Amino acid sequence: MQPAPANALSTLADPPTRMVDGAVMDYFLIEAVNALRVSSAVAAARAKKIERDMAEAGLLPPPPPAKQQNPRDSTSSTTGKIMGSVEEEESIRSRLEAIGMHVGGNFAERLCRDRSLFSDSLDAIKFVCKELWVSCWDKQVDNLRTNHRGVYVLQDNAFKPIARISSWEGRQEALRRAKLYVALPAGIIRGALSRIGFHGTVVPEITTLPQCTFQIKLPKNT
Amino acid sequence: MPPPLRLNAVAFISPQNHPILIRTFQKGDELKYHYVAHTSLDVIEERTNGPAKSNECYLGLLYAMDDIAAYGYITPLKVKIVLALPLTDSVVRDSEVIMTFKALHLAYYHASSNPFLRLYDTPAGVGSSRWKCFRQRVDEISRAIGGTSVPS
Repeated sequence: MQPAPANALSTLADPPTRMVDGAVMDYFLIEAVNALRVSSAVAAARAKKIERDMAEAGLLPPPPPAKQQNPRDSTSSTTGKIMGSVEEEESIRSRLEAIGMHVGGNFAERLCRDRSLFSDSLDAIKFVCKELWVSCWDKQVDNLRTNHRGVYVLQDNAFKPIARISSWEGRQEALRRAKLYVALPAGIIRGALSRIGFHGTVVPEITTLPQCTFQIKLPKNT
Repeated sequence: MPPPLRLNAVAFISPQNHPILIRTFQKGDELKYHYVAHTSLDVIEERTNGPAKSNECYLGLLYAMDDIAAYGYITPLKVKIVLALPLTDSVVRDSEVIMTFKALHLAYYHASSNPFLRLYDTPAGVGSSRWKCFRQRVDEISRAIGGTSVPS
């Protein structure tokens, strides 16, 4: 009877890790971005409809007439349909980043269990580069640069979420679409850092696929 | 066989020093354990910010009051867990206490991962009915330690 409590406590303290299929996880993240894009298009359309109804009922001043599409501003995309307006992209990106922040914070909580306290911000960034990157994206960050004043640049030469993006419209189009898919990872990094205690901003940049850099700005008081 | 460890109370404190959950397992009055958690905060702060900074998560015995021994643990994310054990003469093994702290940390992690419950926004704190699962986990941990007392 006596060994049973010890075993129960140790299973509670250190439960066997549950696994998720890796390929399923990749598909899920890709489809999540698409689903959110559709969902936020629906939400934006709903908001616009309510605005129109209120304007017709006289509660709101009528919206300004829609700006004409300036022919000089046409982008290099060869298809006529532009993938949503700029504000819709922004709203999707902020939603993805908010989701990422929640995921990142909780993930950091789970990963921090067996390590000691963080000594300073460089320690936290190294934790992000090594442990977080390995658990989320199966490799470590390839290059870390800092100016020792709170700005860190993390470079990954084959970032997993965008490693397989390609578009039949060409490199530039693929690059443009890939920008949305790195919003979630940027949120994860930001969430992990803010849970540790460093509230900063994370800006992802893609220059060539599949290379991706994240610029992290942390406040200078550490 | 050494007698099983009994647990008097568990307290979770957030990084901003707000209490998250204080759960007592004895028929004593709850306010005493609120007080215990509060005074432990000072000791924890002194141990982590003082001149002799340690990088360890487990802070060991914080202090001992009338019949309570308070043990502290701080996670790397600055969530503090305080365990109030009855002051007995039997030896308290560090490994058991550390395992208890890890189990408590995991229970907190499971509770806070729920995206539908925002931990730091609810004014009602953790007493509301939505956090039932967290309380159940903490009770389960206390039962696993070997305590036979019913949580109050």
